[in-house]
Amino acid sequence: MANAPFLQPIRDTPFAHSFNRRDFLKAQGAAVLAAAAGCSVLLDPALAKAEAWPDLAVAKGAPGPATRAAVDAMGGMTAFVRPGQQVVIKPNMSFSQPPERAVNTHPEVVRELALMCREAGAARVRILDHPLQSAEMCLVQSGIQQACSVLPEVSVHTLSAARFFRRTAIPFGKQLREAQVMQDVLDADVLIAAPVAKSHSATGVSLAMKGMMGLILDRGELHRRHDLHTAIVDLNTLLRPALVVVDATRVLSTNGPFGPGKVLQEDTVIASRDIVAADALTVNMFEWYGRRFESRQVRHILLAHERGLGSMDVDSLDVHEVAA
Amino acid sequence: MISVQRLIQAISLFCFLALLWLAAFPLPDWAPVDAFLRMDPLVLLGTVFAARSWIPGLGLSFLILAATAILGRFFCGYLCPMGTTLDLTDRLFRPKHNDPANPARLKQSNGLRRIKYLLLFFLAGIAALGVSAVFIASPLSLITRFYAMLVHPLAALTSDGLLHLIRPLALHQDWTWAAYAEIPRPRFSTQWFVLTFFLGIFALAWFSPRFWCRYLCPSGAILALVGRKPLMRRMVADACTRCDACRQSCPMDAITVDPRETRHDECIACLNCVRACPVDAISFGSAIKPVRTPDPFLPRRREALLAGLAGVGAATLTLTGLAEVRGELLPGNPMPPDLLRPPGALPERTFLARCIRCGLCMRACPTNTLQPLWLQAGVVSLFSPGLMPRRGPCLPECTTCGDVCPTGAIPSLPLFEKQWAKIGTAHILRHKCLAWEWEKECLVCDEVCPYDAIELRKIPEVGVSVPFVRGNQCSGCGFCEYHCPVRAASAIVVEPMEALRLDSGSYKQTGQAIGLRLNIDPKDKAFTAVNDNDSMNDDMTRPAPGFTF
Repeated sequence: MANAPFLQPIRDTPFAHSFNRRDFLKAQGAAVLAAAAGCSVLLDPALAKAEAWPDLAVAKGAPGPATRAAVDAMGGMTAFVRPGQQVVIKPNMSFSQPPERAVNTHPEVVRELALMCREAGAARVRILDHPLQSAEMCLVQSGIQQACSVLPEVSVHTLSAARFFRRTAIPFGKQLREAQVMQDVLDADVLIAAPVAKSHSATGVSLAMKGMMGLILDRGELHRRHDLHTAIVDLNTLLRPALVVVDATRVLSTNGPFGPGKVLQEDTVIASRDIVAADALTVNMFEWYGRRFESRQVRHILLAHERGLGSMDVDSLDVHEVAA
Repeated sequence: MISVQRLIQAISLFCFLALLWLAAFPLPDWAPVDAFLRMDPLVLLGTVFAARSWIPGLGLSFLILAATAILGRFFCGYLCPMGTTLDLTDRLFRPKHNDPANPARLKQSNGLRRIKYLLLFFLAGIAALGVSAVFIASPLSLITRFYAMLVHPLAALTSDGLLHLIRPLALHQDWTWAAYAEIPRPRFSTQWFVLTFFLGIFALAWFSPRFWCRYLCPSGAILALVGRKPLMRRMVADACTRCDACRQSCPMDAITVDPRETRHDECIACLNCVRACPVDAISFGSAIKPVRTPDPFLPRRREALLAGLAGVGAATLTLTGLAEVRGELLPGNPMPPDLLRPPGALPERTFLARCIRCGLCMRACPTNTLQPLWLQAGVVSLFSPGLMPRRGPCLPECTTCGDVCPTGAIPSLPLFEKQWAKIGTAHILRHKCLAWEWEKECLVCDEVCPYDAIELRKIPEVGVSVPFVRGNQCSGCGFCEYHCPVRAASAIVVEPMEALRLDSGSYKQTGQAIGLRLNIDPKDKAFTAVNDNDSMNDDMTRPAPGFTF
């Protein structure tokens, strides 16, 4: 389905430098308007509540409740998922490690998101990743399959065979001009990024933007042929999650992405429509390698900001803090 | 009506294939997946003799031998999956029944029968020097290899293709399993050889049915020696009209020109003759009167001696090969740099003496990293399993290859032991490495290493953090080599250096004693504490990799 909204460029011209939530609304609204032809913009509940939305929501609490609180603060899941839609959630479940190692998204975060999607009327929720380790072991060890097993129309899959991927052009890519992307992602209506907050030896951190590499087949190409950070931003011009939920309930502060490393217990979930802002705030909020970093020190965040994918100036954004 | 024999054959082949299918990771602990291999008397005798040690699991074939003394070669006629497969393929390869050109119909082939005994003596001669060649002729080893390494990959490829074809329908119908199932598709390098070899065996049906079983099978020879005077045997009543129908129907040519006589050492009790007899003169039972086996095989001394000596000679020859790794220290230590054995494999000499090359470990390996060796480690290593990290890594949470091995060439180790069974050591080829040579932010090796054996350092000459291997933390699992984005050969390769291969004792204790740090059990508190301390040190003294300043 070529008209999946998150695959569309935000504007006719490539990304405007300054990027605010109204731009997002236009993008979000485009598909909605097409679907709900005849409805006035004002009658659309998601758009009606628009002015109340913060740019970022930070919720403190246990994984499940904090996830719900953060998404609710962003307008609730109904602002992102319409009844009957196909949703893909992209967590980190690439390593066959238990939740306490903080290399995978917490299973309760993923379950809560899937549940909220279903509550919002999603027809199907697929939780997908392209694992680095044994697919079956990742599903089991991460706890994500078990956590989601009771939810109807929700299923968790680790895909690695080429037949699940389809070659797709990346029109706004500077270096990465095409990639083999999971067919299910291309066909979905809504993409939700749900990364765990962790350090990464090659890219500083691995958050929502870096996590999009888990939806393509050949990641080696990004390392081998391109500048990795530029290629990550290129990929993010194609794969545009409607909602980003960063699981910082535990933060792998050192030795990521696999660890074992220092795990900080932070009990935090960050949500945003702006993938750059979500990643940037996550970098700013926590300690990495025993120190503080600014988001511009993560090169793909800086590049994404410069290319207009979002804003890393979180100080000038509206951050809403809630407790779960 | 289908005969009881055919029914038992079908059930037996089904069980064999079902066990082969179950021999995969995660391995069900109730399934004796190697049971058929352990029934083969040649596997028992050849392996115990060559390895000079008793292997308890192989005792199963004593049951077969004991039963053979009573029932004759029932194993060949009822249980052996090779025999059943040949019965099936014989239908394809046999000339028409009444074809006068069929040479098997025209001449007795007593001379050919000796081949299987001579092959047996040859194998015994090889085993006398501690070398095992069981794999060249053990019917169970061969047939396991046939199904595991030729048929299974084809079946898997086909099934996966079918799943792909029906995927649009499956998605539409919400058949979640069918839509997302990935059938592992193993690949093996020797499939053309296995195919050619078996086509040859099958084509021998042109000369006679069950040519392999009659003339070549050394396991059949053992059973023939044990079962030459079985308690339950073919008997012909006086009603016999000598019509020759039984002799025509016998797949083993076990009935002499006088159809009242039986070569009991060749009879597989398939009961074809009973069904063929128009006057119901044939029965199987026991009688008090002494058994007479016409023309039983008695090895001519010279012939048997020559076969045995040929075996000794062949074994000696393998000891002088350049590529043959025997484990002993040769000056300069020549050995193939890519000879990686499965984790916990016995020291090379004992390993090769025990390994029957059945391919069960390769079938069971979830990542397909276990591949049959061709000739890179000499004839003596032919078809033995080696790791190919570019094809797949060795999963730290898997012990399946050892669990399925019928002879203990790869011992069945508990997980915490297996994780200490070092396969080799990874080496970085700096001239190929994206970080070292191209100053790219890559470090996939660090990203995927389950043992945290890659250390990142900032060095003045290179603009990005560069990887170093901590040798004592590297298990040789090959995750780095597998995932390295450099093409075609990886920029980090595992070589067998410092592979830990023990005859006895604990891998963990031995590993700890020599300074290895291979504990990756997340439940092990001591380990986590150590690593946390490392990370603390990293905080102050080392840069945060991946961040810019």
